[in-house]
Amino acid sequence: MRGADRFAGAGLLALGVAFAAGALKQYDYWGPNGPGPAFLPFWLGLAMAVLATALLIGAIRAADAGDAWLPRGEGLRRLLLVLGSTTALVLLLDVLGMVVATLLFLLVLFRGIDRQPWTLSVAVAVAIAGLNFLVFTYWLRVPMPVGPLGF
Amino acid sequence: MDFVSNLALGFSVALTPFNLFMAVCGVVMGILIGALPGVGPPSGVALLLPLTFGMEPTSGIIMLAALYAGTMYGGTITSVLINTPGESASVVTCIDGYQMALQGRAGPALGIAAFGSFIAGTFGVVLLMLVSPLLARWSLSFGPPETFALMLVGLTTVTLLTGESAIKGYISMLLGLMLAVVGFDIVSGEPRFAFGIPEMMDGIDFLPVAIGLFGLGEVLAGAEEAKGPSIPHGRYGLRDVMPSARDWVRSRWAIARGTVLGFFIGVLPGAGPTVSTFLSYAVEKKVSKHPEEFGKGAIEGVAGPESANNAAATGAMVPMLTLGIPGSATTAIMLGGLMMWGLRPGPLLFEKNPQFVWGLIASQYIANAMLLVLSTAFIPLFVRALRVPYAILMPIIVIFCVTGAYSLKNSVFDVGQMLVFGVLGYAMKKLGYSPAALVLALVLGPLAERALRQSLIISDSGIGIFFMRPIAATLTVAALLAVVVPAVRAIAAALRRWREARGG
Repeated sequence: MRGADRFAGAGLLALGVAFAAGALKQYDYWGPNGPGPAFLPFWLGLAMAVLATALLIGAIRAADAGDAWLPRGEGLRRLLLVLGSTTALVLLLDVLGMVVATLLFLLVLFRGIDRQPWTLSVAVAVAIAGLNFLVFTYWLRVPMPVGPLGF
Repeated sequence: MDFVSNLALGFSVALTPFNLFMAVCGVVMGILIGALPGVGPPSGVALLLPLTFGMEPTSGIIMLAALYAGTMYGGTITSVLINTPGESASVVTCIDGYQMALQGRAGPALGIAAFGSFIAGTFGVVLLMLVSPLLARWSLSFGPPETFALMLVGLTTVTLLTGESAIKGYISMLLGLMLAVVGFDIVSGEPRFAFGIPEMMDGIDFLPVAIGLFGLGEVLAGAEEAKGPSIPHGRYGLRDVMPSARDWVRSRWAIARGTVLGFFIGVLPGAGPTVSTFLSYAVEKKVSKHPEEFGKGAIEGVAGPESANNAAATGAMVPMLTLGIPGSATTAIMLGGLMMWGLRPGPLLFEKNPQFVWGLIASQYIANAMLLVLSTAFIPLFVRALRVPYAILMPIIVIFCVTGAYSLKNSVFDVGQMLVFGVLGYAMKKLGYSPAALVLALVLGPLAERALRQSLIISDSGIGIFFMRPIAATLTVAALLAVVVPAVRAIAAALRRWREARGG
């Protein structure tokens, strides 16, 4: 975790400085009758910079490297599989429509994580994708993204 | 103050068939969600909030409040049976609950938790009913400085209590406040930090953020070890979960103490159910005549904390409804829901929307009664639900996250935002930051900024205004202490280490 803290500390320090500087540059710190739009962002950025510096100093001085925080091997494979499929699902929502995209997503993960049996995978995927679409479209009246096939 | 007629109004609202049905749905889903490892009350409430958009606000909050009560109990089931807390308020229950399960006494452990929760929840509602109107009336005199000081207390205490390290807790809170700043400025109307993206000009909605941080973030954290838990075989019929007379004698004062302690901890902004369980456990161990049994299956160690967390969940409603200050991540999400329904939480809520407030209070009684019936009669069913492989459950939760984030504004942009915050939530969880503090700050941020700027506009003495009015001063000093004390402690510890390193 020491490496991650150094990395996060540096990133947050940059974020804090950029946030405070950006606020001062683009907006007014003080308006005609009181604090302006840059007032709070400036102090937030400054506070973030101070805390990030403290985190960074602590992580640089730490003697113990700490535990690794990212998984390895099988755990990493599962994590990337879930993350990758979710990203693909989000990107494909508008292209394939909600039903087809969820169906594919569920099948990939049911088979990919643990090799669930095909019949179970298909049955659960069809049920969830259909139910999800029907509940939101007809009960909650949320127009779901539809694909070229009309659902 | 006419409690009887208010309560009668409340029951007339809560007992309509649809609202009753919503309460049943809330409790059942709550128990299931609470029982799923990794999906706790905040994710449950965030995921189901979109389902309530089509309803009356009263029905919506009834379902969410019943859900909250249900998750508190659902977490207990996994703590006792598989030594895995379903949510953080049940961590303590693992200690003695799982030991009882190993001794073949899982039934009474779950039973006493159910009865304790029922008793604590019911008394909690009575206290809620008595305390809230008083607090609401008191807070009517609050001006912007008092409001800001109160929010400061809420923000600093939640940070203090949730994170593993104080610095990371405050960083999480600042991230939330920074996100809250994005969008049109309330005074000048300028869009801040929107980078020309139209979706960001209206500000960052808390719902995709909450669903991402809690829902998807938890799924990603769970994805690493997608192994189904193994449940010890046992009998979980109605007769097996009834605690014996001896169990009752041992637990009755633990339940009473847990109820009172839990409620008042819950009322404090920032300190939620989780804190109350740790305190209750410590108290029970201290007052017990046989402290050596704690950790080896003492039933008081289950009864006290389990009562405390339900009472605290009810107590947490008090600051949310009367002051508009949520005490926990879950109530922060509910507060966001209230605002989406167009209700303004705070002292005026009791005067302007009595059917909403009293309907909610009455439905809490009903939810507690249902929770008792459902949790004792249907434990075998919930045990079976736990056997659904995580590899099946996890992808389904992701689908709920995606649809929930989408349904807020029918926007794929929001879904993308949810995904980004899911990754952030995973990293925060792994690295010891506090997603709860981030969400709380995001919800409170705009309100706090408005109160801060209004205070400074009416002030003749700059930030002196926060120290010159008695209530504001007390609250501000309390908030500052919450920041300064841990900082001083950390510096002192660093100095000591440095001296030791030099001396040794």
